[in-house]
Amino acid sequence: MCGIAGILYKSDAEDGELGKALIDMLDGCQHRGPDSTGFAVYGRAVAGRLGLRFFVGAAPEATIARIRQALADHGASVVDEETVGDNYRVVVAFDGDVQAFAYAMERAAKLVSIGSSLDIIKDVGGAHDVDDRYGVGEVRGSHGLGHVRLATESDVKPEAAHPFWATGFADVAIVHNGQITNYWKMRRQLEQRDFEFRTDNDSELIAVYLADKLAAGRPLSDVLETSIDDLDGTFSFLVSTDDEIGYAKDRLAAKPMVLYETDEMVAIASEEVSLNRLFPGRALDTTEPAPGTFGTWSRST
Amino acid sequence: MVTIDLAATPVRQANGLIREAGGRGEDVRVVNPDARHHIGVGLTDPITVRVKGSAGYFCAGLTDGARFEIDSNVGWGLADNMYRGTVIVGGNAGAIAGVAIRGAEVVVRGNVGSRAGQVMKAGTLCCAGDASFMAGTMMYGGRIIILGDSGERLGEDMTGGEIFIGGKVVSLGADAMETDLSADEADGVMAFLDRHRIPFKGRFAKIVNAGAKLRYGTAEPRRRSVPFFVAAGQSDYWNARIQEDIYVKSQIGRYRIRGYGAGRPMPHLNDIAFKADLSGAGSGRDPLSRVTLATEIGGKHGARPLELSMPVMIAPMSFGALSRSSKTALAIASRLSGISENTGEGGMLEDERREADQLIFQCLSGRLGWNIHDMQRADGLEIYISQGAKPGLGGQLMAKKVTKELARIRGIPEGIDLRSPSRHPDILGADDLVIKVEEFREATGYRIPISVKLGAGRVHDDIKIALKDGFDFVELDGLQGSTGASSAEVLEHVGIPTLAAIQEALDALAEIGRAGDLPIVLMGGIKDGVDTAKALALGADAVGLGSAAIIAGGCIACMQCHVGTCVVGIATQDPAHERRYDTQREARNIHRYLEAVRWQLAAIIDGLGYTDYRQLSRDDLVALTPEAAAISRLPLMPESGRVAAP
Repeated sequence: MCGIAGILYKSDAEDGELGKALIDMLDGCQHRGPDSTGFAVYGRAVAGRLGLRFFVGAAPEATIARIRQALADHGASVVDEETVGDNYRVVVAFDGDVQAFAYAMERAAKLVSIGSSLDIIKDVGGAHDVDDRYGVGEVRGSHGLGHVRLATESDVKPEAAHPFWATGFADVAIVHNGQITNYWKMRRQLEQRDFEFRTDNDSELIAVYLADKLAAGRPLSDVLETSIDDLDGTFSFLVSTDDEIGYAKDRLAAKPMVLYETDEMVAIASEEVSLNRLFPGRALDTTEPAPGTFGTWSRST
Repeated sequence: MVTIDLAATPVRQANGLIREAGGRGEDVRVVNPDARHHIGVGLTDPITVRVKGSAGYFCAGLTDGARFEIDSNVGWGLADNMYRGTVIVGGNAGAIAGVAIRGAEVVVRGNVGSRAGQVMKAGTLCCAGDASFMAGTMMYGGRIIILGDSGERLGEDMTGGEIFIGGKVVSLGADAMETDLSADEADGVMAFLDRHRIPFKGRFAKIVNAGAKLRYGTAEPRRRSVPFFVAAGQSDYWNARIQEDIYVKSQIGRYRIRGYGAGRPMPHLNDIAFKADLSGAGSGRDPLSRVTLATEIGGKHGARPLELSMPVMIAPMSFGALSRSSKTALAIASRLSGISENTGEGGMLEDERREADQLIFQCLSGRLGWNIHDMQRADGLEIYISQGAKPGLGGQLMAKKVTKELARIRGIPEGIDLRSPSRHPDILGADDLVIKVEEFREATGYRIPISVKLGAGRVHDDIKIALKDGFDFVELDGLQGSTGASSAEVLEHVGIPTLAAIQEALDALAEIGRAGDLPIVLMGGIKDGVDTAKALALGADAVGLGSAAIIAGGCIACMQCHVGTCVVGIATQDPAHERRYDTQREARNIHRYLEAVRWQLAAIIDGLGYTDYRQLSRDDLVALTPEAAAISRLPLMPESGRVAAP
């Protein structure tokens, strides 16, 4: 019930106008999902630092106080903080176990994302609405994902917007178009291993499923290949880690996806109209990934 | 030559300009297309449209006669339902290129995405590169030429037509087989390629329907059938119907097909009643003169609404399931009673169009009989997702009914056991559906209301999608809805009862703060004006009458609609049987029945002390059974456990 987009600038030497590119791509396919819009953007990581973003609502003081207390309780010291729109964004110095820390922060408030380079910005409204509120257009970065959502199975709330962070894992995000039909079966398997879920959304499941396998040291391409067998239903999804993006597509080819690659960048979207927003007036040599395939791209070193 | 710059002109306006150029016979050049959707949709003049770049979804869709040249790529649904004309794509095409074409020549110089040529009827789809997954799935006719390799499951469940493939066949689909091609066929393919200057050296393999799945091996033995009204309403466990059913299954070893809907007891409008004292109802001389019943539906997005003399429609029933004569009688009766008629699946009849003042044209997954010309002369367009009788399943029309005329209108081979797909080729989610709705609006100049028909399954989600995708109203069809042919297992046991469906729909809209924002036409076992009044009081905006209308028009409810030898000439295409049907007489009978519905409705509204049907509300109703109370949340009467005041 949505449209997805992703972009990666290949050269590690320079960051691109990431926020602006994602806004353009999502505005191009906003008809696929007018209710909410979200961005997962990756910037430069600093060793020993983690960025966290929370929904704190319109009267945030009490919530922020609770978050500060929880951070202190877990040995995270605040380096930088700001309140933007309905969000509280904080950078902390932290070097402990991220999963336990993340679950504790989840309990303190509505956590949007956690990562050394990942930052997720999402809210109700269109791409330009979210940009107006959070200044997404100014964000420069190496790679990122975006999502427009048509809310059907749950309410129009900022926390139900995408992208989804892989709850408990730093720097993994996902955007997904489709429906996973063995959702509960897979979720129960992960819950038996003490993973926690914050929503009933199948995109969160895919994110946690992938991040779990990545954390075991498997390469992203390998994990995506396995996902095509393990996930049942219709899906076209994009996943990002701190230095890669990848896609996977179901065997029924039920959901659209178009890809455009140059020496400098790769961009993937639900519809070509989004890719053309990056290159107005040009006919692009695009490809449509085949059913049951996957692909990955990483920052060159 | 007109040049239209899509960087400066919105597509809706551009399509207006393209149609105007078509009227003048002037060619069009589209610059800066940047993969925008719906370019050229609805064009019916033989001009040339050159797209200087990539086009998005449904390029050249719902057109007749034009030539489109697209320099680069196209998105999903290239040349959707295109009649005559030519499309040349310089690059690649997305999924379902050439979907449902009915005669056009579609050439893609690059690759085509999955399910190319799905449900196509006639014409040629040519792909000079490779084809993805399931090319030719459920195609009914025409030919697909693939010069490169196929994806998996080539020709899946194709009914007719041919696929010529020059490269490798990765795998064949269900019920498809490879066969020899004749010298004539090979020459025909090469002539086509020469005409479009596509070089090819090599040999073609020909893929056709294997015919293993299209026919039932054993016919049902003929026994005297048990009428529906004998079968319904008895013990659910053992009765004459069960006995007959076991006997027939012992002979055929498979499920059975029949007409009509669910007859077994389940909570329904019968289980609720009006709370108020209705003793005044009907005592006045003319309740009709004191009560407002007229309404409009479908105007919420600016289209010209349907104007109904009362909140009642004729439910969709197809020419195919029903005879021309009975469809015509329904159309006449709808006009005489000032309500709407609905084509159902399988195309629009001339007689039906002429007789009905207001006609809804229904679009199904097989796109049987669907075309731009009839869309433009319809008063409403309806996208069928599913129906209460068989939610989630496709349709079946037995060979006996697939006559020459019917096959012509639907664009399919004559005399096949026709199966309609269960899914639309281009609607795989709410996100695709919103683009489909927009295509229909573009094709008809935003003049005509667009509705969606939903069989009650997951109403809670579906109704929200219907709202968010911008439909003008929804036809919600409960489990008790009828059909011309389905298996009894599905008819009786799959879906959600009408009473539960309307409640779930209203709850879902209220949950997202949009109560009242999407008009609901309730169908499925609504049999008279009393049911109508109850449905309106529950929260429906109108109702659809299907079975009741054809019973009024002479149906004896023998449930043998699928056989094609209807003894009263309704559910048949056999001229000898159809001659028994007196169209004018039955039209008057249906009209009289509709007027009785009107009187019942007016009398109830009047008796409740109201002057307009919109004053009916849930406060007027009580539930008579615990089940109905649990479903509807109406108060249960008599209240259980009430203790008399001391």
